[in-house]
Amino acid sequence: MTDISCIVPVTDRVPDLGELYREYSAVLAGAGLSFEFIFALEPWRRRDEEVLASIRASGSPVRVFAAGQPLGESALLRAAIPLCRGTMVVTLPAYRRVQAPALVALIERVRAGADLATAMRSPRQDSVFNRLQSRVFHALLTPATGRDFHDLGSGVNAIRRDVLDQIPLYGDFLRFLPVLAAREGFRVEEVAAPQHPADRGLRVHSIGTYARRLLDLLGLYFLVRFTEKPLRFFGLIGSGVSLAGFLVLAVLLVQRLQGHGIADRPMLLLGVLLVVIGVQAVALGLIGEIIVHFSATHRRSYRLAPSGEGERRGMGRP
Amino acid sequence: MPVHISVVVPVYNEEENVPVLVDAVRDALGHDLSWELLLVDDGSRDGSRDAIRAIAREDARVRLVPLARNYGQSTAMQAGFDQASGDVIVSMDGDLQNDPRDIPQLVATLDSGFDLVAGYRLRRQDKLVSRKIPSWIANRIIRRVTGVNIRDNGCSLKAYRRELFDRMRLYSDMHRFIPAMAASLAGARITEIPVRHHARLHGQSKYGISRVLKVLADLLTIAMIRSFRDRPLVMFGLGAAAAFGLGLTFVAATTVAVLSFREVKANALVFPGAAVLWFGLSCYLLMLGLIGEAVLSGHTEEGKSGVLLRETPR
Repeated sequence: MTDISCIVPVTDRVPDLGELYREYSAVLAGAGLSFEFIFALEPWRRRDEEVLASIRASGSPVRVFAAGQPLGESALLRAAIPLCRGTMVVTLPAYRRVQAPALVALIERVRAGADLATAMRSPRQDSVFNRLQSRVFHALLTPATGRDFHDLGSGVNAIRRDVLDQIPLYGDFLRFLPVLAAREGFRVEEVAAPQHPADRGLRVHSIGTYARRLLDLLGLYFLVRFTEKPLRFFGLIGSGVSLAGFLVLAVLLVQRLQGHGIADRPMLLLGVLLVVIGVQAVALGLIGEIIVHFSATHRRSYRLAPSGEGERRGMGRP
Repeated sequence: MPVHISVVVPVYNEEENVPVLVDAVRDALGHDLSWELLLVDDGSRDGSRDAIRAIAREDARVRLVPLARNYGQSTAMQAGFDQASGDVIVSMDGDLQNDPRDIPQLVATLDSGFDLVAGYRLRRQDKLVSRKIPSWIANRIIRRVTGVNIRDNGCSLKAYRRELFDRMRLYSDMHRFIPAMAASLAGARITEIPVRHHARLHGQSKYGISRVLKVLADLLTIAMIRSFRDRPLVMFGLGAAAAFGLGLTFVAATTVAVLSFREVKANALVFPGAAVLWFGLSCYLLMLGLIGEAVLSGHTEEGKSGVLLRETPR
């Protein structure tokens, strides 16, 4: 019987998977845990299969799956979840970020009653720049989630399998797993984990990566605050922009009534443009409301808390 | 004895009120087993959940519906409705401002041939400026927009026929508009009767004046869904027509400007530019309307009508 399934999605970073496995599995085995490792590979990481095959040949609990098409880290992880045999899932980035004993600490926290334990790299020993960008990211994250998380970037989480199955995972939001779990009312704990030496290098990402992070944040903010009420989001933006447009047009109207011509005033274009954009935003919000209205009858809208009293436990509606 | 009445009460941080509330409901509904009281704990941070659990352990008619986190009143009410087993559902606030002694009268009125009976607070015990006046204005607007003639939409004490909730689900903050939704989505017969109202004994009010904007947005949604639920293209088409009309106005202005100024100056591009923007908006709204139709067709189930019909007695 396997207790713990460690999922390692392997995308483009080039880690030594054999070393990763030896380092982490030694600690897990040392703690007397029964575990398995699941490696989910992108198509172009096929040559890692040989490394992993040799590990498996030595009788280690390793399973390897390869995607037929490039999926990305989140999708690989999500695809690997149904393959897990353990009652607890540990997500591990292929690139070692925390030292191995931290895994045991996470697992123990979940055993002690947490639904999800996420590793927070501390003390951090990497460059000032790495820490600064992480600080900025999490500062932006807080208003979206209403709760302080210190290190979502670690990507190392231990989570109960039945809890994982109850969290809606889609798109690229898997990196926000602790946020989503906390939002669903699960008990989420941050656990300090010493940073791995391999994680200390300076990380400067491409502009595209930073843009994607920002979009992720915006998406998360919308998801958490406005999924059920899109009109409040788009309506606020739209009515603000429209109002600015109407003000511009009102100023022009007053000037026209005072006898100044407005046919050659680019201000007029600005005013009309603002009104048009505002109306578009409100109209989008209305479409959003229509979609929410019609899907409300099909969608799970709440989750009941577990209880020892024999009350029904489950979803709002399947 | 089958359960006839299910009383659903969303509870959020009402630890002190819970025992009083349960006693009041017991006194009002008698000591038989024809009713049940569902207390939906909406992720309270105080001892509400334990208080309810303790009572539920001793009285089988009281049930705890524990939500995993705070979802808000609409979702909490829906969770209670989902678990209710009576054929009549009564909703009520957890703060004791409603009086359970009004429930039998509500249910009797419902049984005389209605799908929804709303209470209206006769002598409201709330602050004038922050609660009563905004509420008075809101009710006037809601009545006008929704077309449902209910005096007091803010009063939670209402009785419903169970079938109503097979046809609609509460989400977001729609609990304020249950009568309007019931009328437009299920064609419900609605009436109202006066109910008692008490000043708050314990705990804090969870409402603030800041919700005005939210209510306005919700009201716009309700009005839209009421009028255009079955034909979103019409709504967006009307908007598109208005934008198109504005575009034509600017085309006319361009013509006038060109004719009267003779030599066309580069800056005369302003009017045609504005016309193009309006035409663009018009196209955009039409396309959104088509998306709306696509959404509608994707969610329409065959052979299923939401409307409640009742055979009239001969």
